[in-house]
Amino acid sequence: MSKITEENLSNEDTIAANKLSSREYKYGFYTDIETDSIPAGLNEDIIKMISEKKKEPSWMLEWRLKAYRHWTTLKEPKWPNFKYGPIDYQALSYYSAPKNFEEGPKSMDEVDPELIKTFDRLGIPLSEQKRLTGVAVDAVFDSVSVGTTHQSELEKVGIIFCSMTEAIQNHPELVKKYMGSVVPYSDNYFAALNSAVFSDGSFCYIPKGVRSPLELSTYFRINASGSGQFERTLIVAEESSFVSYLEGCTAPTRDENQLHAAVVEIVTLDNAEVKYSTVQNWYAGNEQGVGGIYNFVTKRGKCAGKNSKISWTQVEAGSAITWKYPSVILQGDGSTGEFYSVALTNNRMEADTGTKMIHIGKNTSSTIISKGISADESNNTYRGLVKIMPSAENARNYSQCDSMLVGNKCSANTFPYIEVNNSSATMEHEASTSKINADQMFYIMSRGLDMEGAISLIINGFCKEVFKELPMEFSVEAVKLLEMKLEGSVG
Amino acid sequence: MITQTQGNNEMINNLDKAVKENSKDAPKWLEEYRSNALNRFQELGIPNVKDEEWKYTNISSIAKTSFQGAQNNEDTTLDSLKNYINEKDINIVFINGFFSKKFSTIDDSSSGISISTLQDAILSDEKKIKSLLEKYNEKETTSFVALNKALSTDGILISIEKKAVMKKLIHILHISDTQATSFTSPRTIITSEKLSEATVLESHIGLNNDQTYLANALTDIFLEENAILHYCKIQAESKKAYHLGNTRVWQERNSNFNSLSVMIGSAINRNDLDIVLNGEGINSTLNGLYMPFDKQHMDNHTCVDHRFPNCTSNQLYKGILSDASRAVFNGKIFVKDLAQQTNSYQLNKNILLGKDCRVDTKPQLEIFADDVKCTHGATIGQLNEDELFYLQTRCIPRKEAIRMLSKGFINDLLFHFEDDNVSQKIHQLLDPSLNKL
Repeated sequence: MSKITEENLSNEDTIAANKLSSREYKYGFYTDIETDSIPAGLNEDIIKMISEKKKEPSWMLEWRLKAYRHWTTLKEPKWPNFKYGPIDYQALSYYSAPKNFEEGPKSMDEVDPELIKTFDRLGIPLSEQKRLTGVAVDAVFDSVSVGTTHQSELEKVGIIFCSMTEAIQNHPELVKKYMGSVVPYSDNYFAALNSAVFSDGSFCYIPKGVRSPLELSTYFRINASGSGQFERTLIVAEESSFVSYLEGCTAPTRDENQLHAAVVEIVTLDNAEVKYSTVQNWYAGNEQGVGGIYNFVTKRGKCAGKNSKISWTQVEAGSAITWKYPSVILQGDGSTGEFYSVALTNNRMEADTGTKMIHIGKNTSSTIISKGISADESNNTYRGLVKIMPSAENARNYSQCDSMLVGNKCSANTFPYIEVNNSSATMEHEASTSKINADQMFYIMSRGLDMEGAISLIINGFCKEVFKELPMEFSVEAVKLLEMKLEGSVG
Repeated sequence: MITQTQGNNEMINNLDKAVKENSKDAPKWLEEYRSNALNRFQELGIPNVKDEEWKYTNISSIAKTSFQGAQNNEDTTLDSLKNYINEKDINIVFINGFFSKKFSTIDDSSSGISISTLQDAILSDEKKIKSLLEKYNEKETTSFVALNKALSTDGILISIEKKAVMKKLIHILHISDTQATSFTSPRTIITSEKLSEATVLESHIGLNNDQTYLANALTDIFLEENAILHYCKIQAESKKAYHLGNTRVWQERNSNFNSLSVMIGSAINRNDLDIVLNGEGINSTLNGLYMPFDKQHMDNHTCVDHRFPNCTSNQLYKGILSDASRAVFNGKIFVKDLAQQTNSYQLNKNILLGKDCRVDTKPQLEIFADDVKCTHGATIGQLNEDELFYLQTRCIPRKEAIRMLSKGFINDLLFHFEDDNVSQKIHQLLDPSLNKL
């Protein structure tokens, strides 16, 4: 053993021996704002209280209560490839909103300047004059949506883009029809919890034949302590429509673990396409692994119509624990599902993420590209399921999961489940695990790049396939985010 | 995991009594060893599909069947075995789990090897046997390994001596020639001492194709430093039989284990192959070939545990599925943090010919070291329609073309062993299946 260590020292010096030190989390600030929270605890009264605060119709409350009753019968799942501290569901506050939000979101001008400042600092300008061009934002602060930009512009083409609270009040027929149709309240432990207590989220409806002129986005911000964030996003794309949807998230630096248990549902009808991109940068805890967000999210899309398409792209760079499997149910004949993912873990972060592709319709196809990078003492797991049902004639799947290890204390795991029930299916799966090639490093550095530049270049190349799927602005941000996280590291 | 409904005591008739009877004349430690194993089995129970390791293999039909201890069959004639026995080899024959002196040809075994039944070995070298039997931690054994430990009475110990290079093939032949719903617990221990080399073929053959029985085999292989072992397992049990095989391999520094597993028979077949690479510079090859028909179910689990640096492991499993058959592959590769410079490859390829066949594959990597090269892959597909068309234009009937392409698909595995004798035996047993395609 000792001989080997010695031999490798020249590389190891530059590679494993260096500790990964990421720059400080720049979104870790806390906005001191008066909040209106409900007492901690979880019971039917609390759910009624949330429902009341949001002035919901009785069917919504019924649904929540049904979900809650189901949740009480469930046990917390124990199968993931990580351990997390027990979560005391009774100690959490399930609703926390900036004061004066009782009446629901108002026009942009009336929003508390403090909030606008907060989102400005996060790089999400909400005020009219500074708005991002080409992107409409729904900003969610703790439990409520504080404002949605570009609404009028979208209304002109018939797109409904608003907070979930508004949607329940103004478009109950759509919500009633689609909510829970992809992720039923009984789906899993955290989805059931979310269905019972969800506080807000975004609703998006693209009518027939409309190609959204803007990119729509939701920005999630956790601010209050002692609370969790539970929102629901529902995207419905009618026949032959298209939308590109972005999601971003950050939280303050804290020593406690906060739970983020969201549900995202997507429905696409005939020939529709939804592209959902996430850059997840929740607070990940400090070097010792104290604090950080538990990101336990259920994301699922259903290609209900013929030739429809759902594409998930995710860059997972934050959270103490990421545990999610954005999935696609390929029900319509000829539908397509895609999953592109980069998951970066450093310090003591844990990620158990991947996708599920359920082929039901004929001639369905799916593509999975997953890149995992683990550094320091982190643990990165890809877990995925490709299931070809007996009805899925000529289904096609291609999966590729690559892992890169930076340092010798981290680990990378792959658990792909492949279940083929139809003999006409064709599927390929490949996975590899390796570290940065010392020869490549040497070559790039001999061309005059410093160590960091070389690593950044190699990591970028490694993730290229995924980054190119991201919308322009996000792509730039993702590259920066990765660089920032890996700064000072060698690997 | 213990489910009362599956009644793990009913599966084997009078399980407790059977274990006790086995140990009648046994030394105290062996009696204890068996009763510990029995306790372990009863504690674990019979796994069901809720168990992650048995997710895709439902053995409730085995659990529901009531098996009784197998009886020795004296009527088996050499005629019925002549297809499988080659006089040039060292043959070790078991009939229904009982060692058959009549058919075995171990007396004239050449120097460099010692072969004895476990019972004899216990009498002659109790200490050695004890250490071999107790090499693995009882706490880590699975249900069926424990069951085999509790029930196996006859078994074989093959020791290849230091620096011996065995030219002759060592053929362990397990014949099931029974008319009853019985179980056997074949037990094999192979130790390859330093710098030795040998080829071992373990075949499980059912003579009566309509008989249900259970074969719960356990093979332990120990490779000392620089030893080389070529090991082939052929399973051609009767079409209604159940075969649960466990092979555990323990490799020391610079040893080389080269294996091929061929699965043809049985209704439900499960094969566990666990390899521990306990030293540097080890090379392991795990290959497999399965061809299920009708409603046959073939499940392969491999587990390769890289504990030290500079080792290589290669896995290639190929399957051709017809009719409504099912195949399962689960390959695990562990690379512990010490095991730098590990190269580990794993590939599972499946061709689906039948309309209702089903494949579940789960290649799995768990890696805790950074300077490694590990890849795994899985493919599931059909024969290339263009290639079939081409052959048909050359006046080859479609059926024949399918056969040719299928044969081409598995050809590299068929000739995996240098020993022609092994290839010949594989062909002999596999040809009827290939002709059925």
